[in-house]
Amino acid sequence: MDLPSLLRAMIRIRAFEEALMRRPDHGFQLLSSGQEAVSVGVCAALAPGDQLLASGRSIAPALARGLDPRLVMAELLGKEAGPCRGRGGRGHLAAPSAGFFGAHAVVGGNLSIAAGVALAMQMRNPGAIVACMFGDGACGSGALHETLNIAALWKLPLLLVCDNNGYSISTRAGEALAAASPSALAAPFGIPAVTVDGMDVLAISEAAARFVARVRAGEGPAFLECVSARFATHSTATRETRAAEELAADRARCPIRRLADCMAADGSLTADERKEMDTEATAAAEDALRFADAARYPDPAELLRDVG
Amino acid sequence: MRKVFFREAIARALREEMECDASVIVLGQDIGRYGGAYKEFAGLFDRFGPARVRDTPVAESSMVGLGVGAAAAGLRPLVAITYMDFLMLGLDALVNYAAKARYKTGGQLRVPMVVKTTAGARGQGVAHSQCIEAWAMSVPGLAVVAPSTPADAYGLLKTSLRHDGPVLFVDHKRLFPVPGNVPLEETSVPFGKANVLRSGNDATVVTHGYMCRVALEAAELLAASGASCEVVDLRSLAPLDVATVAASAARTGVLVTVEEGQSVCGVGTEVAFRVRDEVPALRVARVAAAPAPVSSNPVLEKACLPDALRVAETVRRLLS
Repeated sequence: MDLPSLLRAMIRIRAFEEALMRRPDHGFQLLSSGQEAVSVGVCAALAPGDQLLASGRSIAPALARGLDPRLVMAELLGKEAGPCRGRGGRGHLAAPSAGFFGAHAVVGGNLSIAAGVALAMQMRNPGAIVACMFGDGACGSGALHETLNIAALWKLPLLLVCDNNGYSISTRAGEALAAASPSALAAPFGIPAVTVDGMDVLAISEAAARFVARVRAGEGPAFLECVSARFATHSTATRETRAAEELAADRARCPIRRLADCMAADGSLTADERKEMDTEATAAAEDALRFADAARYPDPAELLRDVG
Repeated sequence: MRKVFFREAIARALREEMECDASVIVLGQDIGRYGGAYKEFAGLFDRFGPARVRDTPVAESSMVGLGVGAAAAGLRPLVAITYMDFLMLGLDALVNYAAKARYKTGGQLRVPMVVKTTAGARGQGVAHSQCIEAWAMSVPGLAVVAPSTPADAYGLLKTSLRHDGPVLFVDHKRLFPVPGNVPLEETSVPFGKANVLRSGNDATVVTHGYMCRVALEAAELLAASGASCEVVDLRSLAPLDVATVAASAARTGVLVTVEEGQSVCGVGTEVAFRVRDEVPALRVARVAAAPAPVSSNPVLEKACLPDALRVAETVRRLLS
């Protein structure tokens, strides 16, 4: 694993969201801060020809998949220069030609879609795989259970990635799921599953790489659960319900600091190198904002474009 | 021309499209060796094999989603939902994803998928009898077609399988055993083009699907009592061919809409409103199912649904 690349990717996502949040007109957003390691670790295991699908919490997945931050920022701010011409926004960010099949903001709604994309891969593009990220909030939905069943039956090339941040808005995972953990749901279908620390990008990328190799070899789906923590509220429009102590404990698990400290300790990251990463990430985020600001909004006269 | 059953016309359209386009696949319950609930998929499994003609679990929600994802990624799936009542389970993927994918991605994705489903009552009760095509008509980005003859089943399914967006193809339990002439040569029927099934001068009856047969029966009854009825088969509900209906209604001055679904926010309500925009002096009435669930009890089922007598009485009332 290329540790500096993993670290840089996470720092860029954090800086991107911080820049976005400094904007008073950022609109309605679901932030990935705290959960960067999941996207970065999973994407490190994917090949260019693979596809990634995500939930409405799409900023980290899109950036980790390599989308141009300028275009992502333009899409989030509703500008025509975004990959979806500003029509998709945060909940439906997509760039299939870049391997990011897209976000879908219905909880659990992308799971069977991902199985369909995987079926198309299996029939027409063997060797390519599909990864689908979803939250613990999707694990009580029938969509997950139906998708696990058909993916196992048809040995679809599908990696299911549960980014378990512990909450569906305010409801704790344990209050919404009878199973001991999301990954326990895979066992009845004979799907291999593992639970890893979602704040440890190395653990995630290693587990993802093992599963990706297996899925790519045609051995059927796999289930990767990453136990993460979000640093912000569910969305910019929801209230914080967690106690200050819990938030502080979560922040102490910061995936960026964790990797940076680890690299500093073994001498593979100097203070100057770390500073350069921060500076570069901030500059890239500011550049993305400038680009998005300069871009135009869609023309209302084109409201009916691409319907159907 | 060759006389075939409605169910055979469906199988022929699929067979032809699957021969010429390897991306066409079929997903559904009991559509493999069994050949479909009404044998409308007969022969496809033997010809194209289990990879392209796939029996699925009883899980409409994810099977529509699977079809949608496969379509967005380059296949052309037909997802068979045995009864239209179960389409409700798949509406999330159909409405929230398929109908919006092209728009929400700024044209990056298309969803060339057909959901074929069977509407209508034939003794199977409150959750196996409904006609909810009017719900689907209001979804931007979704095409909705409902053939009434073997020729239209063949031609509309051909067009559906070549369409670049999602299509809801609605057939009817009582139509599968109906015979009719279908051209020997390969043809198709375009979307958005209604068909005048019977010419007449005194009243226009507009309908779709199985109710076309009821409307034609009513026209016979009316002819016997001296009233000349034009029967227009919409064939395509979205897009809707208002012009053909309006031209007929402008001539007759009387419009009766007939459908097996509900009249509240129904197909007929939409058609009547739009035709009246163009023909202001129109006399209009709607014939539809009674506002009750459709029971499997034969007496209650019959009482709930439109029949030729009700249609004829409604036309006579407007003419008197």
